Amino acid sequence: MQTGDAAIEVRGVTKTFGALTAVERLDLTIPRGGIYGFIGPNGAGKTTTIRMIMSILLPDAGELRVLGHASALEAKDRIGYLPEERGVYRKMKVAAYLTYIARLKGLPERGLNDRVRAAIERIGLTGVENKRCEELSKGMSQKIQFLAAIIHEPDLLILDEPFSGLDPVSTRLLREQILAEHRRGATVLFSTHVMPQAEEICDHVVMIHRGRKVLDDPVHTILRPQDSRVLRFETLEPRADVNAVRALPEVEGCTAADGGYEVRLREGADAARAMGSVVAAVPVARIELKRPSLEDVFVGIVAGSEGGQDAGERAA
Amino acid sequence: MTKVWVIAVREFVATVFTKGFIIGLLVVPVLGAIVALVMPRLFANRDFLIEGQVAIIDSTGVVARRAGEGMAERRSATAISAIVDRARAGGANNAIIDAISSTTRLTLVERGASTDVEQAKLWLNEEELGGARHVALIVVHGDAVSPSAGEATFGSYDLYVPPRQDDRIEIAVQSVMRDAIIDARVAARGLDRDELTSLTTVPRVDSVTIGADGERDTVFGVGFIVPIVFMSLLIIGVMFGGQGLLTTTVEEKSNRVIEVLLSAVSPVELMGGKLLGHMGISLLAMSLYLGMGLTVLAAFSLFGELDLLLILYLLIFFLISFFTIGSLMMAIGAAVNDMREAQSLMMPLMFVMMVPWFLMMPIARDPNSTLAVVVSFVPPLNSFGMLLRLGSSTPPAAWQVWLSIGVGAAAAYGALWMAAKVFRVGLLMFGKPPDLKTLIRWVRAA
Repeated sequence: MQTGDAAIEVRGVTKTFGALTAVERLDLTIPRGGIYGFIGPNGAGKTTTIRMIMSILLPDAGELRVLGHASALEAKDRIGYLPEERGVYRKMKVAAYLTYIARLKGLPERGLNDRVRAAIERIGLTGVENKRCEELSKGMSQKIQFLAAIIHEPDLLILDEPFSGLDPVSTRLLREQILAEHRRGATVLFSTHVMPQAEEICDHVVMIHRGRKVLDDPVHTILRPQDSRVLRFETLEPRADVNAVRALPEVEGCTAADGGYEVRLREGADAARAMGSVVAAVPVARIELKRPSLEDVFVGIVAGSEGGQDAGERAA
Repeated sequence: MTKVWVIAVREFVATVFTKGFIIGLLVVPVLGAIVALVMPRLFANRDFLIEGQVAIIDSTGVVARRAGEGMAERRSATAISAIVDRARAGGANNAIIDAISSTTRLTLVERGASTDVEQAKLWLNEEELGGARHVALIVVHGDAVSPSAGEATFGSYDLYVPPRQDDRIEIAVQSVMRDAIIDARVAARGLDRDELTSLTTVPRVDSVTIGADGERDTVFGVGFIVPIVFMSLLIIGVMFGGQGLLTTTVEEKSNRVIEVLLSAVSPVELMGGKLLGHMGISLLAMSLYLGMGLTVLAAFSLFGELDLLLILYLLIFFLISFFTIGSLMMAIGAAVNDMREAQSLMMPLMFVMMVPWFLMMPIARDPNSTLAVVVSFVPPLNSFGMLLRLGSSTPPAAWQVWLSIGVGAAAAYGALWMAAKVFRVGLLMFGKPPDLKTLIRWVRAA
């Protein structure tokens, strides 16, 4: 990919805090128009990386380019940012707060009030304009903070744990808003611990662990079935008898898992034919080759890494 | 610059249009009014009663009687008023006027001329159930009215008092004795006391000040008070702004709004905007107080007592000390998590801000003393010291003023530089508040 096509380019970036290396020789390229998930366990270095991208922290080594500039400081008005540690001016009225942030983002005075009112309406909070921020519920406050990040229609939207503390309804609304921003043309990078959301929203996932990048692939590649000997199916009837499936010659075993069943095929069994046999044996609502979930990938990487470290420590 | 301005305007509006600010603004004039109007009444000694028994051993035979008459006379308010007028015309100081104007209920107990003085002294510490306190023992010298043969000078009297007694009682007793002995001496020479008093009294005159804008009655103390008022204004302005910078920075950090702001502006822009906004708030407060002061001066036709150049110097030294103290307070705000944590880091700064109050009187009294000159060049105290000197009747040489401004400006730049580094690092640091060593490390690292 050419440099000019990238919304964010990180090359060999390292950041340390005293003895702790928070981010180590990180390379990352996020193309314009992409919607990237940034995952990793607690303390992996996600927030530090995001803060460096935002030029809130400066890297000890390496280079960063944001929207074609050497520093986000040169493109702040084109970036929307929702930090993990976020808040509002408690005594300030909602509309005044959003107007203030919009001004800081360089929006002209003309039409600003209308823009703020429309944004509040769009997110379903009509009527809160003149309420003090301290009067809002946590969910409402989160939405206002999200609005503050997108009020200026940024080209790049960086969201650090945007769904934390939200109820399912608010989560869905926020997800729609993020996707709407992406459809508008914004490049989106968001960090999350909630793997199903990353799976659902992102087209690409980057994972870092202990400050190093351990995954950087499109979601469809990550979730591609790795093993053609495991089927997963769900029955039409919740209490359907699956002994007929267990009795099939291709089947080595059938166990209940996550509200459905997993079928392990015998060595040399044909997966497509076996699927037909299962469907014939029991009425199914859904059947597929088992795909790994992002959570499986996440846990696998973290567990593998820690196992490796444990082994290393034991060897030492 | 636009973003700095947007931040400055928000800081200004968010502070000025609050009840807290308006109340804070009113506190100073209200306190001033209390000090000016209520305190003198609270401290007035109109209810103080000088009461008790005074024993006298008079070997002249004439002073005791006159002292008794003097004490009796002082029971009358009219007589006290006349005595006060006479003392004032004679140049008596405030402490004496204060004592002799008190209500007096002294009674004289005469002892024989041959009374043993040592025995009489014991009387002072004797308790008399239900009776008056024993407040003094007077032993009049034999030559108090007429000098001894061959001597040119008069004798006087010895005065003995009990422990832990109010000074005003002694002053009143001495006043009575002074009048009694003078009366006795005058009578011994066949002179008339009233005539003599008239001859020896020249009333104090009120001077007239001739200024470029005309002439007016001289008001004593204005030349002394003006520099103190200006220095107080400077301290109020700096503290107003500094405190605001500290609290709003702590608030932004504890509300976690700081990172949202940093996504829109750089730390330097944020710091610049906050400094500008709170500078405006301080200038507003100072302008209001200054306006009130000038109105009072104009109302009493004292405008000519003020050198208008002092207002310019106030502005210059305000900017210097505001940027020095304000930026340090903002750095403290950025380094801590809440106001409680800020207190320990604030201690040294608050101590520095207390120093001008202690130095105020010595510098105002003697504006060219070594202390005053040294303080004029030691930041951050130099602004306060130099302003005091500039308002005095003997202002410093121009080179001293410019040197003080230069030193102050350099200190302000240094404070801003350090504060900017602490501000940048501290804003996103949560958890244990930093100690001085950590702060120094931040300054080096940033």
